[in-house]
Amino acid sequence: MMKCRRRHAVGLITVVVGSVVVSGCLQPAADRVRIVSSLPRTGVAQQVTESIVRGIRLAVDDAKSRAGRFEVEYLDLDNASAAAGRWTSEGEAANARRAAQDPEVMAYIGPLNSGAAQISMPILNYADLLMVSPANTAVGLTKPGLGMPGEPAIYRPSGRLNYIRVVPADDIQGPLAATWAYDRGLRRVYVVDDAGVYGRGVASLFADRCLELGMQVLDQVSIDPQATDFKTFVASVMRADPDLIYFGGTTRTKGGQLARDLAGAGCEAVLLVPEGCFDQAFIDAAGVAAVEGRCFATVGGLPPESFTDRGQAFLRDYRDRYGLPPDASAIYGYESMRLVLAAITKAARKDRRAITDAALATHDFDGLLGRWSIDTNGDTTLRQFSVYAVRDGRFVFDETIPTTGMGDPGDSG
Amino acid sequence: MTLPAFLQQCVLGLTSGGFLGLIAVGYTLVYGTVGLIHFAHGDVVMLGGCLAVGLLSLLAPFAFDPLVGWLMIVLVTISCGFFCGGLNMAIDRLVYRPLRQAPPLAPLVSAVGVSFILMNVGLLWLGSTDQAFPDLVTNAGSPALRSPVTMADLVVLSLVLPALIGLAILLQRTRFGRSLRSVAAVSRVTTPTGGADQFISATFFLGGFLGGVASVAASIHTATINYQMGYQTGLYALAAAVLGGIGSVPGAIVGGLLVGLIRAFSTVVLGPRWAAAAVFLVLIVILAFRPEGLFGQKRRERRPA
Amino acid sequence: MSGRLSDRWWLANSWEPAVFGLLAVAPLIIPEFAGGLGGQFTTVMILGVAALGLNVMVGFTGLLHLGIAAFLGIGGMTLAILTVPTNPLEIGFLPAVLASVGVTAAVGLFLGAPTLRLRGDYLAVVTLVFGEVVRALLCNLEQITGGMQGLGPVPPPGAGVIVGGVDLGRSFIVDARWFYYLALAVLGAVVLLLRGIERSALGRAWIAVREDALAAATLGISVTRVRLSAFAIAAAIAGLAGSLSVASLGTTGDPNAFGFNRSVAILCAVILGGLGSIPGTLVGVAILFGFDIVVIPWADGWLQQLQPPTWRTEPLSLGSWRLALVGVALIVMMRFRPEGLVPSRRLAAELHEARQ
Repeated sequence: MMKCRRRHAVGLITVVVGSVVVSGCLQPAADRVRIVSSLPRTGVAQQVTESIVRGIRLAVDDAKSRAGRFEVEYLDLDNASAAAGRWTSEGEAANARRAAQDPEVMAYIGPLNSGAAQISMPILNYADLLMVSPANTAVGLTKPGLGMPGEPAIYRPSGRLNYIRVVPADDIQGPLAATWAYDRGLRRVYVVDDAGVYGRGVASLFADRCLELGMQVLDQVSIDPQATDFKTFVASVMRADPDLIYFGGTTRTKGGQLARDLAGAGCEAVLLVPEGCFDQAFIDAAGVAAVEGRCFATVGGLPPESFTDRGQAFLRDYRDRYGLPPDASAIYGYESMRLVLAAITKAARKDRRAITDAALATHDFDGLLGRWSIDTNGDTTLRQFSVYAVRDGRFVFDETIPTTGMGDPGDSG
Repeated sequence: MTLPAFLQQCVLGLTSGGFLGLIAVGYTLVYGTVGLIHFAHGDVVMLGGCLAVGLLSLLAPFAFDPLVGWLMIVLVTISCGFFCGGLNMAIDRLVYRPLRQAPPLAPLVSAVGVSFILMNVGLLWLGSTDQAFPDLVTNAGSPALRSPVTMADLVVLSLVLPALIGLAILLQRTRFGRSLRSVAAVSRVTTPTGGADQFISATFFLGGFLGGVASVAASIHTATINYQMGYQTGLYALAAAVLGGIGSVPGAIVGGLLVGLIRAFSTVVLGPRWAAAAVFLVLIVILAFRPEGLFGQKRRERRPA
Repeated sequence: MSGRLSDRWWLANSWEPAVFGLLAVAPLIIPEFAGGLGGQFTTVMILGVAALGLNVMVGFTGLLHLGIAAFLGIGGMTLAILTVPTNPLEIGFLPAVLASVGVTAAVGLFLGAPTLRLRGDYLAVVTLVFGEVVRALLCNLEQITGGMQGLGPVPPPGAGVIVGGVDLGRSFIVDARWFYYLALAVLGAVVLLLRGIERSALGRAWIAVREDALAAATLGISVTRVRLSAFAIAAAIAGLAGSLSVASLGTTGDPNAFGFNRSVAILCAVILGGLGSIPGTLVGVAILFGFDIVVIPWADGWLQQLQPPTWRTEPLSLGSWRLALVGVALIVMMRFRPEGLVPSRRLAAELHEARQ
């Protein structure tokens, strides 16, 4: 409280700035913890982050804003800027430092983009702050030997782990997608990616697996996600005459546009997309006619029909509150917050390291998508992937990809 | 590259070049009359696309026949033309006109401000993601038809060509058109008398109208629309205007077609990620040899502030 | 006339130290500066450095430049290439910053030389196009630049150096105040440097060329060399800002951040504040970027905290109105202060004389 009073003495500018602080330190905080999320809340990714935040808020409310003896306060930070219309490095770094330096903050949910995670991970790692991502799937963030040289140690300068993700990484998704394609008898594959950390990563893992399975990878080409359309490019895809086109990327990096241009050029090949394109916005952008019946998405976890009781309750609550069914982002947002709340309850003290350790020790978590644990890299053990198809203008569950035969290319055919 | 592939890229390049040229005319006209790079022009076009999406989604259920659909598109295109023309005129009236006597860079900042506002309107209108542009006639029959020219290209041409012909008639046959040509060729209007203000308003309307026509053509070509489309398309159109020689209407059209063709062929030859770099590199090379652009006149020096 | 002018002198001379002093003291009093607030201010100050560089071109020398962000990108990328552990060079922070300043100055000269015969708006368009080409190259030359994923992690200054039990590298990463003070020091140094140049023969030559290139030439000033010097100095300052920005983020990030959008935003800040005026440029940056980077996130956080936790709908947010708010602000300020908020003394004097 002394600090608060002294601040009022400083000049005009400081008062304006200081009122942030004042509002923050009015209440004593012994039994209060703060959890922040850092997501691109303005610009192109707004819809998907809206879903994540809805999931997070629902988890907080389900827990009646409590974790053990602590009252939980949730703060939704934006890492995007208006001028850029997307996440910015500055925004993510500022959010990470803000969380690292705020002694009330006990967990950091986010970010959305793997590229942003590369910025905030070292900062939060030094601060020993628990970081739970509902969306990063780039393999290099956690898995040694799969990403760039030096990954993931370069994100862990303190040598300890603090980063957890509740989504299965691309080394599972990409190869499983290839297996699925192989099982459907598709052999001529054209791989397109958005050149981003996520898109390039998952597309390359997909292409590698295709080659292992003896499929023909006609080409792997990166598009410019800043372009307005891909008509001229699609023409050259068509000339290669593939029977499957794989797009490594997201709705925000023009997945819908690519699907639309492919259909516009009369392409009849199957289009397979990763989880980053699994949202209604993808279908809205592509137009129903362009993707109906021939576009498939790989999605982590099991379909809602096979959800646990907890999952069914979540579906009901979410629909009651927001008037629409939850998408994958909402599910992972909800799971992230529940993991955090469980870790704080288990640690039972306001100590970042204790909470992080509790989260890393998560075992047999009763999740919406089944039971899962956190492995030694900080990854979820959830390895189930489902394939969704576009029917009647929506993504609907098609089948679950069997995970047997993983790691041995001979078995899956 | 095989001949059909070559023809296909030509068609794609020329159709996209056509509407880029129409948008470029908007930049060129405004620059020619008031000496301002109208940064918000691309976003005016984007809002035209928003309006077209709105109107066509309303009308789509009644498009039982491709011909009816095509008529609807023409109707919507004309409405978008008037909408964008009016919007452009209003921007000039409210934002640029009070700054006629201000230091030369002040209107530039205001133009950026207008662009931000229009983008925000588009963001609230469309949401942050791509929206599919309704198919009326555009995909009818095209998947089966494996010719280099798709239905969408034909519809785009059926909008762009009449606009170009109309523009040519306007410039050749009317007093307003002739004075536009002379203004663009000689110097900008400096004395804001009543007549000049009317003339400038008319110029903004014409640029906006063509932009409105182009917005529908661009949306049909791209087949989606989003709130950042104005920025991306606008940058290419500005490049086209400069390539042709800013201030020159035929130059803007030729510049647009060239930009479209460069984009189409660089995608195939260099890969889709190099299209933007290729367009801008060609522009730099041309400007190094002909600073006034292909059709531009030598201009006097203008000093910022 | 002298009365008005001396007022401005006073403004320029005692406000600046006061503001710098306040900026230097604020982090000591407000703990939030160690976190996000410090990071946001650091970003604003780095953009301030870049804007000062742009002001050399647009304000002092009268050459409209629409691609300043490209130099931020080149500077930052040079630093990253020379320091990231995945590259063999790893020459350390300070040499790499000097190298990136040198590289951007050279690129500035390289761009300046062929474009000297372009004037006014054509120069503007060429710089715009140059900026887009650089952005595309940074995105596409993946072997060197890391492409859209960027290069990282860039080690902070003093990585691995331990002074009195404090690991400097760790402090730079965790505590935003370290980069804050580094950026503040650089900003102060650049202001002093430009003040010095402004009063020197070179500064007077810049302005003479801006006012009337022909007359300047008859006075024996080499217009070519003067313009080239402005190109190089502007580019070098922007490169310095870029390398600082990349170091503070720890990665170059997506090169699309160095595109036309950012160039235009920096230009708007310079014009908004007052062309050719150092305090004006800083005021423009403080208002434009301060609003977007500091005020809006703060206001949104405040709005969120105001609302009771049982609130059923989504909290109110300024985020979705950000663009329009900035746009309206730009238009209104240009409507009422077209010469900028703190116009340069020379310009103010000219306007004053014109009125008499």
